[in-house]
Amino acid sequence: MGPLEARVPIVGAGAVSAHGVAWRGLSHTLGSGVCAPEPATELTTSHPGTRAFQLTTLAEPSSMAERRARPLMSRSAVLASMATSAALQDAGWRAPLADVGFYLGVGASGGSVDQLGTMLAASLDAGEFSLERFGDRGLAACNPLFAFQLMNNFTLCNSAIVHGTEGPNAAFFSRGTGTLFALSEAVDALAENDCVRALAGGADSSVYAVTWAELMREGWAERGLVPGEGAALLALAHPTSSARALAFLDYVSVHSARRAAPTVALQSALDALSPPSIDAVVLSAWGPPARDPLAAVVARALRGRPLLDVANGLGESLAASPALAWTVGLDLLCSQDLGRVLIVSAGLDGDLGLVALSAGASP
Amino acid sequence: MTRAVITGVGVVSPFGVGTAAFWEGLSLGRSAVGPIRCFDAASFATRVAGEVPVTQISAAWMLDQLRLTRSVDDDRAIESLADSFSAWERSGAFRDRKLAFGLLAAHEAWQSAGAESLGGDAWLCLALGLEQALLEDFAPIFRERRIEWALEAEATLPRTRFRAPIDGCLQLVSDTLGLRGPRVVHSSACAAGALALAHAARLIERGDATLVVCGGADSMVNPLGVGGMSRLGAPSPRNEPDACRPFDRRRDGLVIGEGAAIFVLEAAERAIERGARPLARVLGWGSTQDGYKATAPRPDGSAAQRAIERAIERAGLSPGALGYINAHGTGTPLNDPAEVRAIRAALGASADRVPVSSIKGAVGHLMAAAGAIELAACLLAFERDLLPGTAHHQVIDPECDIDIIGEAPRALRVDSVLSNSFGFGGQNASVILGRYVGA
Repeated sequence: MGPLEARVPIVGAGAVSAHGVAWRGLSHTLGSGVCAPEPATELTTSHPGTRAFQLTTLAEPSSMAERRARPLMSRSAVLASMATSAALQDAGWRAPLADVGFYLGVGASGGSVDQLGTMLAASLDAGEFSLERFGDRGLAACNPLFAFQLMNNFTLCNSAIVHGTEGPNAAFFSRGTGTLFALSEAVDALAENDCVRALAGGADSSVYAVTWAELMREGWAERGLVPGEGAALLALAHPTSSARALAFLDYVSVHSARRAAPTVALQSALDALSPPSIDAVVLSAWGPPARDPLAAVVARALRGRPLLDVANGLGESLAASPALAWTVGLDLLCSQDLGRVLIVSAGLDGDLGLVALSAGASP
Repeated sequence: MTRAVITGVGVVSPFGVGTAAFWEGLSLGRSAVGPIRCFDAASFATRVAGEVPVTQISAAWMLDQLRLTRSVDDDRAIESLADSFSAWERSGAFRDRKLAFGLLAAHEAWQSAGAESLGGDAWLCLALGLEQALLEDFAPIFRERRIEWALEAEATLPRTRFRAPIDGCLQLVSDTLGLRGPRVVHSSACAAGALALAHAARLIERGDATLVVCGGADSMVNPLGVGGMSRLGAPSPRNEPDACRPFDRRRDGLVIGEGAAIFVLEAAERAIERGARPLARVLGWGSTQDGYKATAPRPDGSAAQRAIERAIERAGLSPGALGYINAHGTGTPLNDPAEVRAIRAALGASADRVPVSSIKGAVGHLMAAAGAIELAACLLAFERDLLPGTAHHQVIDPECDIDIIGEAPRALRVDSVLSNSFGFGGQNASVILGRYVGA
């Protein structure tokens, strides 16, 4: 991890966020400073009054295959599938896609809360959970497909099945850096010729009753975390590809907070990255306690370079946050004629992720 | 090229805690599948499992296991762990059994690698199953057919509640072993354990890490795990100890298992330099996606075939050089013939000469940990020149017409083994280990 042996062409991207299904223009939207969380309709019943960066409507299934798969999909899986469609279209990748690798940061389970309630209602006896009733009636009360919504690898698998990708793949549980590992594994798979093209990113939602209850209980909300959701994918070509690249991925690294404080790790990484080559920084941190010290390091080391804080306009979407930030960085690079953008992500796991994208002609 | 070698292994299996118990069970051709005891499954359609022999996890039990397996032999270290375990027990976290299994296996692996003195910069790369749903916690906040989250603050509930965190095991292992490196959780269902080991090997080969603790831990032997799988129709409908009969013509489903297998990986040169004994080399791996159906494997096995072929290619072997295949072999009607087709297509004429077995009849399907524990089983081939048998495989199926090792293990010296892991959702992973024969 760190500087890549060969720059990896980014030939497309897909992003789904509270601002719609688009990555182009996202940096302008987020930079305008007018983004504010809206009432979270997904949390109306469980946590009324919560504001979030949430998609107001999910896209209709784009194919018969997706229509069939929808009952099996958690909300995160639907977001992933929307981003996959968008990334494939943006990259101009059409079926057959058997050679496409797929590496995704995914969140926790996200099954229907209504189904959970139905199952619980049938499993209680005088207000107590009854194993006997659960085995006898609770399980029968819920849709068997509910199990697929609970399996978090299906956030990836549903998209692979719907869109027909058959290359190397892996899902990583992520509260931040797991999504960086998805990207680094995709890069390594390309470098080692496991595949010639790959999708890499993350999909997740913290606008989900069980997840939001956990984040509230653990104190994240009172420290400034705003819930969000989304999915984003980069379409990566082989380093030797002659495909027309939007930009190049040239640096990926993860820094363990148990080895060094994120600010120290960031300073060391910036020293190694040769700061003069960085034209702008995109920062994705879960909230002010993570963001402010990192922003201070960036301000000191890269005096005068613009810093775009994406959490202010996207919220914290856990496994999706780093990947959404990469697409914002890509948009900055493509829309503002910059040479190199550094994307810094700091998720709930406390570790630090660094990705650098650069402009340039295809080989 | 730098090759990764396995220098430590730890196992928790339905045969008990410790690698010795696991290898002994397999060496004797035993099966550890039996009635579920850790919860009352009387009203459930599925009532047997490959269950680790402990009904309720406690801090005291954990400490006893560490002492018995000599995974920690320093009294002061035990005392320090006692405090940590007690805190986790009080929090209700040990209701998620995989947390305990992963931790015990990790300590055994760390100790067996002699890694205690190596410092804590090791990476941690684990395959962990889903969060365990702690359904009983919802009762105090359930009113009028709805979960009333506003009641949570006043309800008497354990600190770990509603669902155990997916990465709880990761935190406990890194905290108690003092690991400071990056931590990765693989969430690729039944392929995750194999992918975690492959990822670790890649980190070593590329020089990103010098030491990686990797493997998998899982338990679905809990009400929603067993009940949910049962609703999907995956387990055998027969609640007998021989419920899972891989490659047998009478096979009718899988058996859920639980446990963990953890390895310590490092560069071969470094292992030799510090006097560690490599148990095996990691030679190759491959992964693919079926891209087919959520509910069934691709019948022609073509995607699985490509995973096997890529692993062989990466290992620099010819198909005929493989000495043994540890199959995914779930014992389901659709999986086993699809896997045989994949093996036949990938190995060609060599397919008839390579012995194949599945340990799932003996220990059940360990889900996210399946690939890891099956790689631990493969080490028997190098440690004892013994290939594990296929428990309850008695009646040959014409659709599975390869050299399936029967119930008894087979004594044979081989130099390379391939392990297949094909996950729910179509994720396929194959890993090849090689005998370590010195520099």
